[in-house]
Amino acid sequence: MDPSQLKYAETHEWAFIDGDVATIGISSHAVEQLTDLVYMDLPTVGASVSAGTPFGEVESVKATSDLYSPVDGEVIEVNSTLPDNLDLLNTDPYGEGWIMKVKLSSHDAVAKLLDQAGYEKQCSEQG
Amino acid sequence: MLLIDHAARGSWNMAMDQAILEWVDYHPQIVLRFYQWNPATLSLGYFQRHADRSLHSSSAELDLVRRASGGGAIVHDQELTYSLFVPVAQRLSQSHRDYYDLVHQVFIDLLAEMGVQTQLYVGESAGEAQKSFLCFERRSPGDLILSGFKVGGSAQRRSRQTILQHGSLLLRQSSAAPELPGILELSGATVDYLGFATQVAEAIGERMQVNFSRGDTPVEIVDATKRIEIEKFSNLAWNQNR
Repeated sequence: MDPSQLKYAETHEWAFIDGDVATIGISSHAVEQLTDLVYMDLPTVGASVSAGTPFGEVESVKATSDLYSPVDGEVIEVNSTLPDNLDLLNTDPYGEGWIMKVKLSSHDAVAKLLDQAGYEKQCSEQG
Repeated sequence: MLLIDHAARGSWNMAMDQAILEWVDYHPQIVLRFYQWNPATLSLGYFQRHADRSLHSSSAELDLVRRASGGGAIVHDQELTYSLFVPVAQRLSQSHRDYYDLVHQVFIDLLAEMGVQTQLYVGESAGEAQKSFLCFERRSPGDLILSGFKVGGSAQRRSRQTILQHGSLLLRQSSAAPELPGILELSGATVDYLGFATQVAEAIGERMQVNFSRGDTPVEIVDATKRIEIEKFSNLAWNQNR
């Protein structure tokens, strides 16, 4: 996926919106900051997710971090190969490294997400 | 805020850490807590498999709790445990790793005053040692090393606005982990829990420019701890969920 066509949460997750379905992942900036990822927890298909609340977890050496959903809806598919191939987050965070697909219950949260320029500005300000 | 707690069961200790983590989200301030464990408890790292405790027979009879932080299993028995809560604007910044070194350097300095020469581990974290069931048999940069043995380690849990870093300083060997000598066995030094915790708090306060004042745990944190312990850390669904 083209990063310039994605929407971004302040918490570093990206969303590709295709009609009522959002594909979700985490940004290359987040992967770089987390470093040395060793484990990932995926949500369950059928689970409800809501914008701004945790849907999964990642562990890097010495630190566990929540992943936050950028959208509201129901999980309809997860990238089940990802936890055993976490290097995909390094090599292709916007493609093969996708995490889940969500059927949107509302587009309200999508409207609040950042575009690529806004997200990169946030990252540069945070250092 | 500085909390120096009495020894408590593992599920209570972990619930208290989470309750403070959530509290700091709404009351941004640096909180430092010290605690010990009674009864001795085996804690699993967040992603460890419950079945893997069978790999370590000498701790088989201990109570068990799963931590919210990562890393390997820890036998919490003869140790000083701390948790440090820091409000942050950017939860993923690599600079948060500096808190490991900050706390461990305080340990190094204070132990040196007692004649105990510890140092930070500076090697690689990869390799078979990183797969060991016990955290204190693993090695990561920043671990506290004494005579080649790990005697101190820390891990972080990062929520949206707060970092929880908790860690253990191995004061004495435990009969539930006889392969891990503590500071007493390696140096002959005895570390007094209350006195050392007070010194550590003063030193961390100086480095973080915080005046820690020791007080009682706020009632809302105690109430949240009771709830979280029941819902999560004393619950088999959490402790055996993988």
